Amino acid sequence: MQHATELEELGVKIREASRFIEKSQEQLSRKIIGQQEVMQRIFIALLVNGHILLEGVPGLAKTLIIRTFATAMNLKFQRIQFTPDMLPADLIGTMIYNPKDMEFYPRKGPVFANIILADEINRSPAKVQSALLEAMQEHQVTIGSQTFPLQEPFLVLATQNPIEHEGTYILPEAQVDRFMMKVLVDYPSYEDELEIMLRSATTAPDIQVSPVVQPDEIFRARTLIDRIYVDQRVQRYIVDLVFASRKPAQFGIAALESMIEFGASPRASIFMLLASKAHAFLQQRAYITPEDVKAVAYDTLRHRIRPGYEAEADNVQSDDIIRQILQHVQVP
Amino acid sequence: MSGRSDNRPKPRLRPLLFLLALLAGPCCAVSVRAESLPAISVSISPDTVLVGDRVRCSVRVEHRDSESASVEGIDSLALKPSVIMAARTTGSVSGRGTRRDVFEYEIAVFARERLACPPLTVVLRSSDGAITNRFPLRTPKAVIVKALTDSSMHELRPPKPPVRPEMPLFLLLPFFFTVFGIALAILLLLFFLKRSVRRSAERIDHGQVALRKLRKLSSRLSGGMPPPDCYEELSNILRSFLENRYRIRALEAVTQEIERDLEKIGAADLDTVMTLLRQADLVKFADSRPELDESRQSLLKAEEFIRAARTEETEK
Repeated sequence: MQHATELEELGVKIREASRFIEKSQEQLSRKIIGQQEVMQRIFIALLVNGHILLEGVPGLAKTLIIRTFATAMNLKFQRIQFTPDMLPADLIGTMIYNPKDMEFYPRKGPVFANIILADEINRSPAKVQSALLEAMQEHQVTIGSQTFPLQEPFLVLATQNPIEHEGTYILPEAQVDRFMMKVLVDYPSYEDELEIMLRSATTAPDIQVSPVVQPDEIFRARTLIDRIYVDQRVQRYIVDLVFASRKPAQFGIAALESMIEFGASPRASIFMLLASKAHAFLQQRAYITPEDVKAVAYDTLRHRIRPGYEAEADNVQSDDIIRQILQHVQVP
Repeated sequence: MSGRSDNRPKPRLRPLLFLLALLAGPCCAVSVRAESLPAISVSISPDTVLVGDRVRCSVRVEHRDSESASVEGIDSLALKPSVIMAARTTGSVSGRGTRRDVFEYEIAVFARERLACPPLTVVLRSSDGAITNRFPLRTPKAVIVKALTDSSMHELRPPKPPVRPEMPLFLLLPFFFTVFGIALAILLLLFFLKRSVRRSAERIDHGQVALRKLRKLSSRLSGGMPPPDCYEELSNILRSFLENRYRIRALEAVTQEIERDLEKIGAADLDTVMTLLRQADLVKFADSRPELDESRQSLLKAEEFIRAARTEETEK
């Protein structure tokens, strides 16, 4: 079979460029047991400049995953615990008066890092949330009259606790939409839990993770991802999936019509394509297949489809709706 | 003993006297009854109502057939405030030379008190219309009108619906049996229809259909069809065949999912079909351009796979 030369060359380049993924995965696996999907999603977000909303009960090693990831990727990490009394200045920084020279100096906040863990983002008021979301969107922060660009790569991983809602400020749909993916962190498997227990049950765990990636490698990977081939059939398949969330009856899923309050936004199509490209890169491919689209469909659509009243009454979650959509939209 | 008088009839006269008594009896009764005419009775029911309810007043007049009866005074009721909602008069011949007229009134009452019945006057007229007699009537009964919680109630309450006598069950049984019979007939019809459709669908040889499509595709390829288009159709033919043969969702599934499903089922010659599907994926999604010979080879492999799957099916 005669392959298109360009794609062949790109494939070779991708295989070379994606080596850092293997190296970092090797480092990560020294400290993190299981949670392969979460780590893959973090790689995807980092590769295509997206941000992730993590949801999971406490104690599932969300912070550990991200801290270890940052160490392995040789990136600056900051963890910000969001609280109800937090102010935007606590996040982005503020102007400090220096009495010596009688001038104000900007003091940068914790947002100036490569990887930010916004722990329990829904604990802080809307103004703090929007300050962070603005930084995510613009990749720059204004303190006083000065604007400072944020360091690249810039990846925000915000966590939400799904079981405690008292005293929280639920993220509005418009802000949730800015996250590329919403990843559900689940409990580890039986075998994984056994290994976690045995590894961690020491008074001084001595597993160290060393930085094995340089930021340049990430930027190089990004340029290659942009060149990944997307056939028209796959493009249409992505749009079909997003449209099926808005008008399910047109795709033969009339039962979902009353279950969906509103469907996915155009950001869903954009992020689904980007995430599919990154997924194809992780699979060392120079082209996207519907498998890549299906692999990222749940995470990119989950927070963008709002189940309606009927769905809530029948205990139908957005994941169930996505499953229905994937089962009914014909694969090219 | 001879001077004693005996007034008792002689025994031989007794049957004659009995006969006379028999004949005189009805005549006396007629005359007695004619004398007691007109017979008038008034009834009012119920005796206790709520404000806004209706009472029924019924006046029965039995009079000579030669006369006509009417009731006066019903409009100027002592029962105030009240409204006559309906009035009805029925008449019938009740016996020899007598007639019975019944005057019925339905009156809605609004006052909250003990109300006397209306002062009625029964007027009898001769055939030429002249009044022959007037009988003022007054019933001893009174109607007690109870108030609702809202004493300002002055609207007319709707009449209570008449109590219908219950339908005996044995009359309803035929109806139920008919409905049940029709429903059963429809269900049976649907069952047999579905079964026949399923059987006819099962009778379709999906392998044969797929082979026919492949042969058509092969001839189109020889006729100048571009090989990439051929692979796209080949993928569709194979997916449709897999869906029908193994009852898996192949049209909405990606190649990996199909592979997983077929592995679970334990499908024969899995490698061949997966290679073909992956080649088709490369053509569709990676802009790969296969040679004409390569396409022909793929079509042949697809035919072999379908034949093998058919053989496997018939062996089972």
